[in-house]
Order: sequence, then structure tokens, then C-alpha cells
Amino acid sequence: MTTGLALTVEGLTVNYGGVSAVRDLSFEVPGGEAVGVIGANGAGKTSTLKAVMGLVPRRSGRLRLGDVDLGGVSARNMVRHGIGYVPEGRHVFTGLPVEKNLLLGAYARKWDSSTKATLSEVYDLFPVLGEMRHRLAGALSGGQQQMLAIGRALMSQPRLLLLDEPSMGLSPKLVEDILAVLLRLRSEGLTLLLVEQNAKLTFEATSSCLVVENGAVAMTGTSAELRNDPRVRQIYLGL
Amino acid sequence: MQVFLQTIVGGVSLGAVYALVALGFSLVYRTMGLVNFAHGNVVTVGAYLASTFYLSTKLPFALAMIIAIVVTGAIGLVIERVLRPLENKDFDLMLIGTIGFGIVLDALIIMIWGATGRAVPSPVPTAPIDIFGLRIRTYDLVVLAIAALATVLLVLFLSRTKRGTAMQAVAMDHEAATAVGIHVGRSNATAFMIGAGLAALAGGLVGPLLYVSPALGGALGIKGFAAAILGGFGSIPGAILGGLAIGILDSFTAGHFQGYSELVTFLVFTVIIMVRPTGIFGERTVNRA
Amino acid sequence: MKRLLVVAALGVAAWFLPYGLDSYAIHVVNVILIFAILAIGLGLVMGIAGQVNLSQVAFFGVGAYATAILTTHSGMGFWVAGVLAILATVLMGLVIGTPALRVQSHYLGIVTLGLALAFTNWVTNASLSGGAEGISGITAPTLPGVDLSSEYIYYYLELIVFAVVLGFGLFVVRTALGRRMRAMRDDALAAGALGAEVPMLRMTAFMLASVYGGVAGVLYAGLIRYVAPESFNIANMFLLLAMVIIGGRQSLIGCVVGAVSLALVRELLVDHPTIAQLAYGSVVVLVVVFAPTGLAGLPRRFRAYLDHRRGTRGTAAQLRPFQPYEPEAVSRSTQDQLLRVEGVTKQFRGLKALDDVSLTVSTGEIRGIVGPNGSGKTTLFNVISGLYKPTSGRVIFRGADMTGRAPYRLARAGMARTFQNLRLFGDLTVEENLLVALDRWSTLSAWRYALRPLSVLRRDRALRRSAAEVLERYGLTEFASLAPKSLPYGIQRRVEIARAVAADPALLLLDEPAAGLNGEEVRQLAEIVRSIRDSGRTVIIIEHNMGLVMSLCEQITVLAGGRVIASGTPAEVAVEPAVIEAYLGDSMNTDDLPVPSAGEATR
Repeated sequence: MTTGLALTVEGLTVNYGGVSAVRDLSFEVPGGEAVGVIGANGAGKTSTLKAVMGLVPRRSGRLRLGDVDLGGVSARNMVRHGIGYVPEGRHVFTGLPVEKNLLLGAYARKWDSSTKATLSEVYDLFPVLGEMRHRLAGALSGGQQQMLAIGRALMSQPRLLLLDEPSMGLSPKLVEDILAVLLRLRSEGLTLLLVEQNAKLTFEATSSCLVVENGAVAMTGTSAELRNDPRVRQIYLGL
Repeated sequence: MQVFLQTIVGGVSLGAVYALVALGFSLVYRTMGLVNFAHGNVVTVGAYLASTFYLSTKLPFALAMIIAIVVTGAIGLVIERVLRPLENKDFDLMLIGTIGFGIVLDALIIMIWGATGRAVPSPVPTAPIDIFGLRIRTYDLVVLAIAALATVLLVLFLSRTKRGTAMQAVAMDHEAATAVGIHVGRSNATAFMIGAGLAALAGGLVGPLLYVSPALGGALGIKGFAAAILGGFGSIPGAILGGLAIGILDSFTAGHFQGYSELVTFLVFTVIIMVRPTGIFGERTVNRA
Repeated sequence: MKRLLVVAALGVAAWFLPYGLDSYAIHVVNVILIFAILAIGLGLVMGIAGQVNLSQVAFFGVGAYATAILTTHSGMGFWVAGVLAILATVLMGLVIGTPALRVQSHYLGIVTLGLALAFTNWVTNASLSGGAEGISGITAPTLPGVDLSSEYIYYYLELIVFAVVLGFGLFVVRTALGRRMRAMRDDALAAGALGAEVPMLRMTAFMLASVYGGVAGVLYAGLIRYVAPESFNIANMFLLLAMVIIGGRQSLIGCVVGAVSLALVRELLVDHPTIAQLAYGSVVVLVVVFAPTGLAGLPRRFRAYLDHRRGTRGTAAQLRPFQPYEPEAVSRSTQDQLLRVEGVTKQFRGLKALDDVSLTVSTGEIRGIVGPNGSGKTTLFNVISGLYKPTSGRVIFRGADMTGRAPYRLARAGMARTFQNLRLFGDLTVEENLLVALDRWSTLSAWRYALRPLSVLRRDRALRRSAAEVLERYGLTEFASLAPKSLPYGIQRRVEIARAVAADPALLLLDEPAAGLNGEEVRQLAEIVRSIRDSGRTVIIIEHNMGLVMSLCEQITVLAGGRVIASGTPAEVAVEPAVIEAYLGDSMNTDDLPVPSAGEATR
């Protein structure tokens, strides 16, 4: 895997039907680091990620990956600038076989021997996908689909990986597996931006976190600080 | 038994044409979630183009057909481009928009080729072949062969090429497709173009079977659509099977109910759809109710 | 007042119109009026009720042919034949509407189109209908002292019928039945969850359309006194469709305007029918892409555009505080079981979304259902409210087994819900959204529209009074006439809750009502939910905001991976290891967790 690039977001605002979902959000993900975004449903986590990806229009805000300004880049070209995206709810191509899903992840690249190499790297990371390469993605279990979604994003050889709730609907055991994958990607130097409602996973996978409320940053800190913060506990357990 | 088999044989070649029309419907639906009600009129355009080049410029039948396919493909591109703002938004509006296109094409056909039809002579010898006592027209075999070839090519394109795979991906999840770098609009345009090309192929092939007139596409379109739904909308094997089923059903009703064949065909179709809305190969289609 | 003057002026103009027309022109006008009636019918079924009906022209045909056959073959008088013809058309409407119970949208389009073709196929072939030649010599309608064979006089007959059916159509659209149909068009699911009998409504819509088709057919038979298959072919169906689309399908007046203008254009280009066809086909495409609401929608779009240009930013309407309900004096000590879910499992393809879930909710309780995203909370709501049929297990509501019942039946049994992603009827105003919920009237009693229209009006006035009360209570009065989509998110949430409560449920299901709300709004929400409970209703609330759940609920059920992993009081579940595992993970040191006192952030 290639080394990660830093993502800088300044003054990001997103509107949904006249209502602002994200307001003037600024943060930075240093190259090769993992940053988490946690918060309640409807707080604007997914909107933030989609706006970075260009899947929802940004009303204002500047966006930089490394030294490249991403302001005018359309959603489908983000991948060509090195952003891999793992959508909330997995969104694999259910009617296509696993391997086709992965190859489509490399759609923006030429399908050649280097694609093959990346494919075997992904199978190495997720052996189960290799075993099921000819199975339809729709026939996979939730956890396997999540692996597939991550694998698909990795196929583009991203410099930054955006993950939207990879733990959604997974059992604790599978969440552990996801965590292991994230830690491994991080150790290989990929930059990660992880949006989660599972605080435990987030704190363990990342070095620092933002807590968002109502589309704005309510708290920031290192993951170690935040995991013992009473306010964070209040949000998650209502204590 | 003899009569029974002969009826089936009689329905198969027209069924193959229905299948091609159904394939066009299904392909566009599969990739865009859109039902193209102008599809039937595109078939007519294809039939007229092919027969015009074949009859008046004396081009070989195959070449005439290819020109027809290219021109109608371009028409498909135009339709997609105009309706693109409605994609993934209002389903019923888009449906009505394609009906509007159908009306326009219909008018253009009459303006260019006139309201009266024309008969197209068969490009192959007309004498039927006798196989085990069944009489089969040579041209029917040609139609079947071409329809089968077109289907195989389409399946290969969708499953073996990068672009074809991407088109399927767009149909399954256009946002995820965008995220991996696929140009959704361009993919839809391709689907529409191929759909229109299939319509032209069907139109060109049906020319020697039926009388080419402005009303041709209406009948073929609605039966092709019925075939697509019967087989399971969006499914390629479904389209083939549905097409053949409607063709054979047509042949039977024509034999048993003469003038009322259309009435019986649509009644049977309605009953089948009510019993099994997802068709034969239906995956659970998106319920937009 | 102004509107009344316009109507009066139009009426006078219509009355004196024949004086300026030659005999050909009056014939054209008579035909146009018939098309206008057809267009109103199509507008009702397609624009108002959202049912793609491509067999309006067949209804027209049945009306005309039945009149023709009954007068020529059976020797009936025109009026008797006319009434029977309309009845025959209604029967046909019910037959063609039946597929709408199973299929919608393009499927319905193809089925209705196919049935219309089947009809033309029949009349072209049957000897009863005169085959391709059709039937001529239809008995002329007679009225004592009036010569209806004169097209000038016939015009007045048509004009009166037209005025009556247009008035009736508008009456339907603006009262309970039309409101329900529009709600169903916008969101059949939400309409069903509010108790609108969707199947019955669809049939009613087709029936209305067929009555209009039948009336138009009878008038046509009386006017032309000759019927032939080509008058009822698919080309005319598409012409009719174009009229409705160009005029604006969601407005009956728009349909009339579309019918009149398109018919006039066709008349102007009568020598160049293909050019006319080309023109209206193109206009349909342009309208669909650029002005989906048709001509009728243009004034509003223009006004919106002006507002946008001037920069007027919405309205100055303000949300007023919620006024709590009078607490009901009912003692809640009764251990009444309002809802019992027994061993419910729900399987989607390979995925088990719910796995043997059981829970019991007592009357007067506020029950919280919490769990990580994807743990099956919303699926559980969907099973309880009838949107999903469980793979196994039972749902007992108010002592009756309601497993797999249609949502509208559950709604009528006293259940109401909100949706995670808000499902307000976008094309209805806030007030109308509430009216749909307040209206507990069975669609079967739609016969009142024909026989007791005044009682319909009285009911509607009463409903509007109740709506005003609800608006007042929820502080929404100033938003009454606005479109929900134009409101801030927090207010939309409140409208949805008000709407659910307006349906007068015994059990209220709230799906993540706090999602996207700010701190103050969450506080107000808690107050509203408590007051709703105090007014004697039971509430089940799915929530992700743990603070809210902990402070609000007496009992909490925790789901994870489709299974119930804990249940009990907030204090009990908060220390349950499985819950902490699900939310914070087991690696967290649980020893330093204080014993929670509900609703308070200690430390």
C-alpha cells in the first residue's frame, strides 16, 4: 500500500433541503494517521463524509488532500485523486460476484498486472473474500460484505480511506475483526477518516477524534483522552 | 400434436423478435430504472430505416441493418440526454417523458415515410424447410440465429468487459458506482444506445415477417414490454423466455381466437402479472409504491 | 369573492359563447368539452391519486359503445341507455382498477394500456359492436320542449354536465377523499400507516375516472350519434395524456386548460395532423423536463422564482411553545398488556434482522428501545406496525393477534408511528398532513359524496377545527399553510409527531425522534412525549440519544444483532455488561461507572 496523504477540511458547510446538516466544520487528518468522528445519528457524520467525497454538494468549505486542492473535483474523480470510500450500509454491488466487485474498485485504474497484485493483497488481507471470489456479493453475510466494501475501496490504492460506520449491524466478534483490519491499514501508513457510532472501535482504531453535535464539532481530543471523558460517556450511555 | 408443435414453431420467430424488444426494455430498466415507452417507436424507426436502405438503395440486408442500428442508437442517446435531469428522481414523470418521445417519433415516421406501410421481401429463399413433418421458414431460422447471437454478445459485453460490468454496477448502486469512479451519466447513455440498437435490430428483422407500417412499433413495443415483465423485469434470461412465451401465446390465441387474439393475450398477461408481479425470473423489484 | 366573480364571468361567457360561433365551430367546442371531461377524470386518477391509468380512453369507449348498443339493439331511450352505460363503465373501471391492488407505476401503465388495447381489439371484431364500421344511427337524446339534435342546444346540455362534473371533481379534491388520495400519491406507505385504506382508495380512484369516462362517452354518443373503434385508439389515449400533463396533472383546472388548449391547437392544425402530433409530443417532453407541474403550476413557480430573486427568505412564521395535554386521571397501576411481541424473527435473504425477539409493553408506559445501528430496531417497528410480515412469531395488540395485518388495519386499531427519515406528505400543507391523520372516516363511506355532499362538507369543517386545535397545541399554527419541506428539520419532526398523535392512537411508535435535533429541541421533545403519555397514550421510542432515553423511559429494551440483550429500568440496563459491551466495548473499565440516577449527568 502507498503512504497516506493528509486531508485538510476548512469551513465545510452542507445543506439538505434548506437545512444545514453540517456547519462550518474544520479539521485535519495528518498523513498516515487515523482520525475518528463520533456523534449521535443525525449529528452530521455521514453528511461530512459524503461532502468530502463530493456525493452531496458542499455549500462552502475548502478541501485539500496533500498539496492538491479538491474544491472542483467531481465525486467520480475523487478516487482518481486518491480517496477511497466505504459507504454506510456497505453498498456492495449485490448482483455481481465478489471478484467483480473488487475489480470495479479499481475501475479508475487500468486493469493490468498491478491490479492483479492489488487483488491478491486484498485477498491476503481478507482471506474469506478469496474463498468466495465467485460468490454473488448479495449472498455474503453482513460482515463479509463489510470486508468486501473495504476491499473494494482499497483496490483503487487510495492515499486516504473514508469509512462510514463499518461496524453497523455487526456482532462484537466481527467488530473486532474490522478493528484488526483498520489497525493493520494504519500501520501500513494509510490515512484513515473513520465515522462511527461505536465509540469503542473508534477510540481503539484512531489516534484522535472529533465529537460532532448538530453538524458542528463539540469536542476534540486524543482518543485516549476522550474515552475517559464524562461527556462522551453521557452521550453513549446517558449517565 | 403436429398442429400443436406447428403452432409453437409459428410463434417462436416472432417470439424471438419480442425477446429482442424485451431485451432493450430490460437493459435500460436494469441500468437506469427507467421504462422507455418510446422503445416501440424506436423499433418502427429501425424497421423503416433497414427496409429503406434494403429496398431503395439495394444495400445488402445485413449492411442495411447495421446502418439502421447505428442511426437508432443515436436516437437513443438523444432521448437519454434530454431526460437525464429526471434520472433517479421522478419515475412516473420520466415514463411520461418517454411517451412524449414516442409521440414525436411517431409523427416523424409518418412525415418521413408516410402513413401507409410497405411489405419487405424476405432476404433468404422463401420455401419452407421440412423437419420431421414440421414446416419451418428459412427466414425464421435466420431470425432465431441473429436473436441468439445478439443475446450472447450482450451477455458477453455485460459480464466480460469493464464497461459492461460498470453498467451493471451503476444499476445496482449508482452512488457506490460514482465512488469507484464510474461516470453514471455516460453509462446510462451507453445503455440507452444499446437498447435502441436492439430495437432497430428487432425492427429490421421483423420487416420481412410483418408488414412495416407506423403502427408496427406500437404492437411490438407493448408485447415486448409485456414479455420483459413476464420474464421478470431487468432479467436477461427472463426477457428471452418472456419473449418466446408471448410469441407462442400469440400464435395460440391467433389460432384459437382469430381476431380476438390481442384481447386474450392481454387478459392472460394481466392475470399472470397479478398472480406473480415479479415475473418468472423476477428478483424482488424495487417497490416504489 | 374575487374567485366568485371570475367563475360568474366565465359562466356568462360560456353561456353566450354559441352566439358567436358558426355550426362547425360549435361542433368543435362540443367535442372539446367532452375531452375536457375525460381529462378531468384522468387528472383525478393519475394526478390526484397517482395511479398510472392508460385506459381512460377505454372507459370513454365503453360509455359510448354501451349507449350505442343499448339504443340501437335494445331500443332503449337515450337517457335510460346513458345511465346503464355509465354503470357499465363503472364495472369496467373496477375491473381495470383491480391490477392496481397488486402492481403500481410502469407495471400498472402496461397493464392498463394492454387492457385498453384489448378493448379496441374487441370492438373492432365483435359483431355486437358493428366491427370496424362501428354503429351508426344512435337514438338522439330527447328532452320535452328542447331540440337536442341541434348542436347549439346540445352545447348547453354539455356545458351543464361539464360544470357539474368539474364542480364535483373539485369538491372531491378539496375534501377528505381527495386529500387522502393525494397523501397516497405522495407516500402510500405513510398514508397506510395513518389508516388510509390504500387498496380501497385506488379502486375509488379508478371508479371516479371511469364515471368521468362513461359520462364523456354517453355525451359523445349523443353528439356524434355514431361510434367506431378509431375514436378510442391508443393515439387518442396519448393525446389525452398529453392534455393532462401539459395542463398540469395535479390540478383539475389545469387538466381542463390542457384539454382546451391542446384541442384548439389540434383544430388549428387539422390539415396537418402530423405536425400537430409532433408539436404536442415535443411539448410533453419539454413540460416533463422543465415544468413538471404543467401550465397550472407555472404561476406558483414564477412566484417562487420572484421570491428567490428578491431574496425573500421564507416566511417569518415562528414556532410557538408546545401546550401540554390535560393529564388523564386514569390510574396506570393496571398491568394491562397493550402490546405483546412473541418470538418474532425476521429474515431478509441470508440476513437475520430479528432473531426471536419478545417484549411486552403495558398501557401507559414509555418504553425505550435502544441498540447500535443495524441492530434491528427499525425492523422491529416495521413488523409491529405491519410494514413487514415476520418470518415467524406473533404480534398481539390490544389482545388481538395482528401479525402481518396491513398497516392501515393496525392504524385503525389504534397504532400510529413516525419514521426515522421523516415521511411527511410533501405536496400537502402542514395542515393537510394533520387532516389526513385526523380523518378516521372509512373510504367506503365515499358514497356520501354523491348522495349527501353537505354532510361531507360539515365533516370537513369539523376536521379543520380539530386540526386548528392540534396546530395550536404543538405551536405550529403559523406554519399551517406551508409545505413541510420548506420548514427547518426540527419543525418537520414536530409536525410528524403531531400528525401521528392526531390519528388518536393508543400506542405511539417514535422512530429516532431526536435524530438531528439540537439540545433545546431534544428537551422540548422530552416534554412533548411525556405529555402525550400523560394524556393516556402508550409510547414506544427508538432512540440513539441515550440521555433522552435514560431520562424519559421507565423500561428499556436493548437490541443487538437482532436479539434482545437486556431489558429493565434505565439504571439496570446501564450497568448490564452486555449493554456496555455493545456501546462502549468491554475493554472500558466499568468499575468507575457511578450508579446512574436517571436523567442526570453525574460528575
